[in-house]
Amino acid sequence: MNEQLAEVSNLLIVVAIVVYILGLIGFSADLAAASQRRSDQRLAQKQLVGAASAAVPEAGGGVFPSAGAGDGGGAPAPRTMSALTFAYGMTGVAVLLHLAGIVLRGVVTQRVPWANMYEFSMSGAAVVVLMFLIFSIRRGDLRLLGTFVILPVLIVMLVAQTFWIVPAATLTPSLQNSHWLVIHVIIAVLSSGLFGLGALVAVLQLIQSRYEAARAGLGAAGASDAPAAQAEGQDAGAGAPVWGRVGSVLDRLPGAKPLEALSYRIHAVAFVGWTFTLIFGAIWANQAWGRFWNWDPKEVWTFITWVVYACYLHARATRGFRGNKAAWFALAGFVCVIFNYTVVNTVINGLHSYSGL
Amino acid sequence: MDAQEDGTTVGTQSEDQDAAAERGPDGGEQTARARTPGPGRAGAAEDFTSGRDAPPAMPKLGLRGTALFLWRQLTSMQTALVLLMLLAIAAVPGSLYPQRNVNPGETEAYLAENGKLAEILDTLGLFDVYSSPWFSAIYLLLFISLIGCVIPRALVHLRHLRAAPPRTPAKLGRFVGHTRVQLPGVDADELVERARADLRGRRYRTVVQEEKRARSVSSERGYLRETGNLIFHIALLGVLIGVAGGHLTQYRGQITVVEGEGFSNSLTQYDSFDPGPWFDASHLPEFRFTLDEFRAEYSTSTNEHQFGQPTLFEADMTVTTPDTGTAEQTVRVNQPLEVPGASLYLLGNGYAPEITLRDAEGAVVAEGPLITIPMGDMGYTSQLVLKAPDAQPEQMAVVGFFLPTGEIDESGPHSQFPALIDPQLALTVYTGDLGLDAGVPQNAYQIDVSSLEPVTGEDGSPVLIRLYPGQEYALEDGSTLSFDGVRRYAAFDIKHDPFQKFTLVMALSAAGGLILSLFVPRRRVWVRVRPDADGAILEVAGLARSEDPRLDEDVRELAARLAAPAPPAPTSRSRKS
Ligand code: HEM
Repeated sequence: MNEQLAEVSNLLIVVAIVVYILGLIGFSADLAAASQRRSDQRLAQKQLVGAASAAVPEAGGGVFPSAGAGDGGGAPAPRTMSALTFAYGMTGVAVLLHLAGIVLRGVVTQRVPWANMYEFSMSGAAVVVLMFLIFSIRRGDLRLLGTFVILPVLIVMLVAQTFWIVPAATLTPSLQNSHWLVIHVIIAVLSSGLFGLGALVAVLQLIQSRYEAARAGLGAAGASDAPAAQAEGQDAGAGAPVWGRVGSVLDRLPGAKPLEALSYRIHAVAFVGWTFTLIFGAIWANQAWGRFWNWDPKEVWTFITWVVYACYLHARATRGFRGNKAAWFALAGFVCVIFNYTVVNTVINGLHSYSGL
Repeated sequence: MDAQEDGTTVGTQSEDQDAAAERGPDGGEQTARARTPGPGRAGAAEDFTSGRDAPPAMPKLGLRGTALFLWRQLTSMQTALVLLMLLAIAAVPGSLYPQRNVNPGETEAYLAENGKLAEILDTLGLFDVYSSPWFSAIYLLLFISLIGCVIPRALVHLRHLRAAPPRTPAKLGRFVGHTRVQLPGVDADELVERARADLRGRRYRTVVQEEKRARSVSSERGYLRETGNLIFHIALLGVLIGVAGGHLTQYRGQITVVEGEGFSNSLTQYDSFDPGPWFDASHLPEFRFTLDEFRAEYSTSTNEHQFGQPTLFEADMTVTTPDTGTAEQTVRVNQPLEVPGASLYLLGNGYAPEITLRDAEGAVVAEGPLITIPMGDMGYTSQLVLKAPDAQPEQMAVVGFFLPTGEIDESGPHSQFPALIDPQLALTVYTGDLGLDAGVPQNAYQIDVSSLEPVTGEDGSPVLIRLYPGQEYALEDGSTLSFDGVRRYAAFDIKHDPFQKFTLVMALSAAGGLILSLFVPRRRVWVRVRPDADGAILEVAGLARSEDPRLDEDVRELAARLAAPAPPAPTSRSRKS
């Protein structure tokens, strides 16, 4: 094994982290600008059409622009466009470095680079960023989410880099000779990444629907005394600004309904992935220990996670649980994913506890 | 709001006999309660959208009525959801407390340590969660609910599969992607035929309907969605049956084999054997093997995490079965040996030092490779117990350690590396009554030395014998102990689960069904052609009956294709927001 190459792999990851931070700064700048933009837009609108027709910004409740459509909220100011471009540039570079680091680690150890928590986190983080880039390039109105994607990814990477890092090592025999390891874990990484994205969208959906309710409430109240509001130079109607700058950002995101649909689609794919994680894990366990299911803590939590997400899918089809209530199940599912991956790996000891940690 | 999102209106509009599966506001309307039409409007479509009506009133139901009511409650979506949640929650304690079937040793230790509290937990079944009555009750109820849910749905679905798509709604304007085009000079009948062919080509099931002053094609596709959903749920039941069947009929046993020695499959050869309740010992398959060589390699990396970690375990064996004859095979972790009727897994290994013990009279009272038990440290310090009940004048026992890379310092004898770099034995010899005749079964790898006398040296303290391969040690009384060499041994689990394949097939079917059920869009598409003075008016619209983001686009494309040959100015009247 080549120790120097292993060093390079580590270095690439560290550099990727730094570049992600730059990307994060870009995304945050864009987000901050977006929160500013609405008032500007509104002002311009008012000058054009007059206060009476202050239209609801369509981004708030609209549907996704179809594939290939540009930025969701009309022509943004050039200044902010460049913040976003910077963010994408940096994130793109970072993810390439990141991937290079992971691949190199695989080359050095001559195996797949996801055999311990450090490698699993790093690979998972790369999956999340890649998925986000792919999703958001196709759907302009998701680009605003960059901050919420890169920030958790960075946290995971930093935690992995500081607490979970283990030197590149070849595998212990219990992890050798099994292509099921490769398949099982890559699907686990992919679906965990997707569950992460799904949870993010579900959170946004919940916030958005609160926001929409607040806005509608205020709009209804505001409409009656619109003249008064006008007199004070404020907006009236359904688009009444509530929640200050947060509201401005929410206006530019898809509405609660399309977010719900997106969350469902992500979760559906991730759930299928998790189902295969479970099945392939069982096949692997059967090959290694001659028991496909042994109620090992890791297995238990994989199962619990699966059941909770099954609850989510069920809830979506159950009277009284649709929409926001179902979203809570998805979030509970993600809590299980996190728990499975942190507490179960480190605290609760089982056959799966990764060596070297 | 577009039509797709308004479940109630759609249900009424489409007037269809199979609205049982109608989708609700977010495409997730349940189908499960199709058989419970609401009061007074039996058969009306919207009642199937699952009881958005008031909860069923409970007037005098009578015995049969009560039973029916309970059954409906049990098989409702809400109950299924609650049971699923309970299942998830009930599984948790099993990961927090040691489980008897997984780790009996740890469980006993926990019980011993925690006294009264542990006893209470034990009564509650927290150390046998997955076989406890409450856990079983939850999953059994869940699966009963599943059966009660799936059977009626399967029947409804079978009817759907045989029925033609329902009538085209009178007003298409409210549906997804509605497009209306005036096509001068187009023959209405020809257009209908083309529409039907087009839809059929896209695997829609179609029917042409004659209407007043118009003809229409009603089409539907995506029946596989519900089929997949049913397969998924039924296959889950299959998995349960497979697991239960396996539990009843399987067997599993442990064996330990020293290099150069063999094993032939019969009950007496097992260290432990654990058959399922319905296992029939006469079904033990015939096979035998010899362990030719066991290889282990360990990392010598300078890195402290890795140093001494195993990098390779391999067992070369010569296997003979009645069916396949004799063949050589290498068994590794993750690469079990498969013979007809059994699989053999490499699960452990260790050292078997060859020791010869002669008693004071010069008779060999113990000889050969002796299985030692690794203590779990990196260096494979292994515990050794040798019992020599035939020794004269007194029974003898040898107790101590085998050290692959030995070192004896203030922390006692221990090994610094797992490979055989400097193998040695560190032993103490005892004499006295081993108590083997007392009739109490004893563990061959353990001995209680408290009632025995250690052989002492000149200073009166017990002799610690340190031996290297090839050496012999003579004790005061004339008995001798020689260390002749080291072999390795491998430990295997042998098991057979007759239901294993079935369970796997069921699990994969469930996954397949799940994919269909989640990703096949179920939808209806209608094409209505109304002849007018100089041609025809074409109307196209669709209805999503599941999550179906592409429907709008697909409907519009269909309209464009149908309108294509004679392109007039379309008077599109889209209602899609
Ligand atoms: C063993 C426990 C169960 C599990 C793990 C489970 C899991 C799932 C999952 C993951 C889905 C979503 C995928 C799909 O649409 O096919 C689903 C859907 C569904 N399940 Fe279950 N289920 C269970 C029991 C039940 C029971 C007892 C019922 C009946 C009350 C039921 C009725 C349904 C229905 C009607 C759907 C379709 C929902 C829709 O149309 O979107 N399930 N189930």
